Parts: sequence; structure tokens; C-alpha cells
Amino acid sequence: MPIQINTSIVGKEYPPFAVTVERGRIKAFAEAIGDLNPFYLDDEVGRASEWGDVIAPPTFPITFRSARGDSAALLRDLGVDISRVLHGEQEFEQFRPIRPGETLLCRARIVDISEKAGRSGPMAFVTRETAVTDASNEIVATMRQVTVVRL
Amino acid sequence: MKYSRVYFEDVQVGDEIPSLVKGPIQQIQLTRYAGASGDFNPIHQDDEFAKAAGMGGVFGHGMLTMGFVAQAVTDWVGAGRVRRIGVRFTGLVRLKDVITCRGRILGKSSKDDVNLIDLEIWAENQKGEKIVTGKATVAVPSREP
Repeated sequence: MPIQINTSIVGKEYPPFAVTVERGRIKAFAEAIGDLNPFYLDDEVGRASEWGDVIAPPTFPITFRSARGDSAALLRDLGVDISRVLHGEQEFEQFRPIRPGETLLCRARIVDISEKAGRSGPMAFVTRETAVTDASNEIVATMRQVTVVRL
Repeated sequence: MKYSRVYFEDVQVGDEIPSLVKGPIQQIQLTRYAGASGDFNPIHQDDEFAKAAGMGGVFGHGMLTMGFVAQAVTDWVGAGRVRRIGVRFTGLVRLKDVITCRGRILGKSSKDDVNLIDLEIWAENQKGEKIVTGKATVAVPSREP
């Protein structure tokens, strides 16, 4: 029997949460990917660069999490166990590089839920968008994430 | 050359960027990525959990593969140049898989003194199966001042 998910959360906005970008986190993230680009890892190269410091890799904003507004909160709202979900799509738009020490504000909302018949059974596609802004309220990045739920 | 500077004039539609080979994927890399990214879904760590979930065993984080594809782009164009990157996850990465990341220039445009290059990007495993497909847009300098 397919499970039912709570589709009433379309349009829901999660409480904004702040993240402070840590130098060590940028490096650990790049190293976990095996991306040893010196602009991420080497403080001296960063200082001499046009950005004046190391910068984060393009997919780094995926580390911006909060207990109240991240994937775990989404699963609770949908009423779905983590074993049923897959990552369907992911997009980042970046308006400027992200540097260590900045505090950024993340605002996530559910923009769409659609159900389709997949090859392996019925599935739901949950689309969430997150806007990331800086201390002067300028947009730094946006994320769009599609979570696939095996119903 | 790694981290070389790409100039707008030197890029032609249809060109491929240098491919990037990653792997063989080992469990330790998935564990390390979990720690670095904060994604501790046991489906990427615990084989029994992944089997019970009907996934046939542990598989890699989609975001790790996306990180590989992003690296292929930044190895070519340089860090800090990616304006947009988006992918669809079309297949699972299994332990021992070798992932090859590729990209091809789709278009070039200039707007407000910014030179943009659109690419199609993808990653395939050792069987030639596409694991992710997507697009990226990068901003590059011009040789003309």
C-alpha cells in the first residue's frame, strides 16, 4: 500500500536560520569531495586572491542546516521516514563567493509537491527553495532541492 | 593545466572541458562526506539499513557526485566563477564505482560587461551509465580590457 504524505505544506515557510561560515568547514568539505583547489584550502593563496580569503566550493551551501528548517524538519512535516527519500534534483545559484567568518541567513520554503507513477511505483516530488542572504540583506545564493519520496 | 584561467574568446560552443575521474568510491569517503556535509542518512553508511530500505545496499550521496561535477567545472574555469549549477540525479553511485565527470559548452553570452558560458555537465560510471546530468553557467574574463 502506498503511503500518504502531507501535501498541505506547499507554501510553508520555515523559520529563518543563521549560519556562520567556518574556515575549517570549508576545508573539510572540499577535502571530503577530494577537491584540493588551493582557493578553498590555502589561506595564503586566498589572501592573495581577488576575494582576499579562501572561498567555499559551489555546493557548499548544502551544509547550511538547522534543526528547525532542514531536511529532518521537512520529513517530519511530510510524515515520511528517511529510508523512503532520495535526492532528485539540486540547483545552486551563486551571486558572489562565500568566505569564512560571514554570518548568513537562510530562508527555506516548500514551493511544490507533485505525485507521479515511477518505474518502481508511485513517487512524490517535493521542491524546496532556500534563499541565502548576508548581513546587509543582499542575496548571496539560492538553492533549489527536489526530494523524491517513494510512496 | 589545472586552475588555468579561461578567457571568453578562447571558448567555442561544442568544446568539451577536460574530464575528471573520481574514485573508486570507498565507504570512508561517504563517511567523510557525511561528516563534512552534515548528511548522516544511514542509507549511505549502513548496508543493512540500505537493503532494508529496498535500495540493495549502500550508495553514495548525490551531493558528493554533484561536488565531483562542480570540481570538473572549477578545475577548468577556476574557483569562484560558477554562477549557477544544477543537476538531476539519474543513477546511484555504488562502492568501487569510478565516476567520470564531463562537460560541454552549450552557449556564450555577454550582458552588462559579464561574459557567461553555459555548459551541459554530466557524470557517468565505469559502465557508461549517467549518474547525474545538468547544466552550469560560469562567468569568465575577456582578453579585451
